[in-house]
Amino acid sequence: MARSFDELTAQEIAAGIAAGTFSAAEVTAAALDAIAARETEVQAFLQVTPELAQEAAARIDAARAAGEALPPLAGVPLAVKDNMNLVGTRTTCASRMLETYESPYTATCVARMLAAGCIPVGKANMDEFAFGSSTDSSAFHPTNNPWDTARVPGGSSGGSAAAVAAGMVPLSLGSDTGGSIRQPAALCGVVGMKPTYGAVSRYGVVAFGSSLDQVGPFGRTVADVALAMDALVSGGRDPYDSTAQDVVPGFAAAAASAEDLAGTRIGLVPAFMEAEGLTAEVRTGVERAASALEAAGAELVEVDLPHVDAAIAAYYVIGPAEAFSNLARFDGIRYGYQEPGCTNLADQSARSRAHGFGAEAKRRQMLGAYLLSSGVYDQYYYAAQKARTLITEDYSAAFARVDAILMPATPHAAFRHGEISDPTQMYLSDMYTISLNIAGNGGISVPVGLGADSGLPMAAQLVAPAFADERLITYAAVIERALGRAAGGSVLGVAPAFAGKGGELR
Amino acid sequence: MALTNDDVLGIADYARIALEGDELAQMTAYMNDAVAMLEPVLAYNLPDVEPTFHPIGDLSNVMRVDAVAPERDLARETALANAASAKGDSFRVPSILGEGEA
Repeated sequence: MARSFDELTAQEIAAGIAAGTFSAAEVTAAALDAIAARETEVQAFLQVTPELAQEAAARIDAARAAGEALPPLAGVPLAVKDNMNLVGTRTTCASRMLETYESPYTATCVARMLAAGCIPVGKANMDEFAFGSSTDSSAFHPTNNPWDTARVPGGSSGGSAAAVAAGMVPLSLGSDTGGSIRQPAALCGVVGMKPTYGAVSRYGVVAFGSSLDQVGPFGRTVADVALAMDALVSGGRDPYDSTAQDVVPGFAAAAASAEDLAGTRIGLVPAFMEAEGLTAEVRTGVERAASALEAAGAELVEVDLPHVDAAIAAYYVIGPAEAFSNLARFDGIRYGYQEPGCTNLADQSARSRAHGFGAEAKRRQMLGAYLLSSGVYDQYYYAAQKARTLITEDYSAAFARVDAILMPATPHAAFRHGEISDPTQMYLSDMYTISLNIAGNGGISVPVGLGADSGLPMAAQLVAPAFADERLITYAAVIERALGRAAGGSVLGVAPAFAGKGGELR
Repeated sequence: MALTNDDVLGIADYARIALEGDELAQMTAYMNDAVAMLEPVLAYNLPDVEPTFHPIGDLSNVMRVDAVAPERDLARETALANAASAKGDSFRVPSILGEGEA
């Protein structure tokens, strides 16, 4: 009987190809067909790459025909955020600045997913240079939330989240500087993980905030995200990223070990659950997740993170300062938009940057330039880095008492395009995610069902100590199993308007 | 003290971003909103707290062997391919000091 490939998890696709139930070429054709059928309404991609996909699929099928052992994600279609270099694609960061930029090399995170057998089907839309929480600041087009196309998918990795939620790919990569994986995952009803800073190489990923940026996967199930994490960390510390650390690839095992949580202590932060701006339906969703963990044997413990209130202010000092520094490289000379007809270098730089960058990219850089200017720097930058010390100490104190902390991922469900027009209001979308980028530890957003008021996806966020990311997978898998539609299945599955639309796998 | 349009023009010059038309007034309004939002962080300028500049606290300089890594070297044509203006083996830039020949 014919069925759409979107019913299959990444794990099932790889197993099916290994068993010869279908070929990588057939899965790739199904993914490209699903993209063709769904992309007009979702607009998750900036570039679709059928040739690269078909070549990769042919290599997998040839390896199988030759009797070679297949890698763990062999034949699994993958979308990659467009701030990650992949030879054969443009890397635009959704900016006019890089509209024609051809990737000169492949990012380590992408190379590792391809080495694990993934099929690269395209580059996913994002907020310009990852500045945003809606993907509406893409210079090329917005992306629509597959659960309600009048709404945003979140951001900045909105295309990566929407492509998974709409069933166009089972896996994608995003990057998270203040919540840019976890917030869109929450708004699109998929699993999204920001590992600990340093767990995944950033080599070949266009930098935004160098002490904050981290790469991570999206999937519809926790087990799929775990497989992607294993692929991202296997091969060990990347010598091309000096912040990269050795991480043992034990994520798939952590997903499989999700059973009895007796002896596990999960923290809840009362101030977070009563925060202004948190909707009742999100709070109810987080409480459902807490009940699921408790039912599995975990003990719920109240913890305090008293300095986390300072996280947004600290972030909007550190993030723009680092962004200003990183984006200074876009001077229109070696790459990027170059204003024609300028007679001196300073004028060429200033006008290339004025016309290459969109409004939010200019705002962040202007704020960063101001904060790093003489006299201002001493006041704000040091204060922000001291707040960072206190926030990190808060987490350390909490993790002396609990194994992980459960909290909302976002204060509310997906909002409508244009609904939040004030940039500083938009920054509050990340109120629950941002402190992890400040402290560096990992977090995962896991769906908990649909909201009673909005009918839209709701999520909970789990937070673990630095380099204890496998716990995130274990506890998220427990929540998924309790709230999911079937054992091993995702909580929400593909958004109903798109499920089964194209992508038939014979 | 609020930032004025003149202050913001000075920052824009430093940031090498030419603001045009309405952009200056909008940017000034944004900068003042954003700086007001950052106000709470000033309370953390505490004398007895050490700043954390990096989330992996004990990370010090990571050195590699001082050797050519050919697998990372970009071919010259690859390096030049993304430049808007190139001539021969070089990136092409206009006059640095003043109004010269482009």
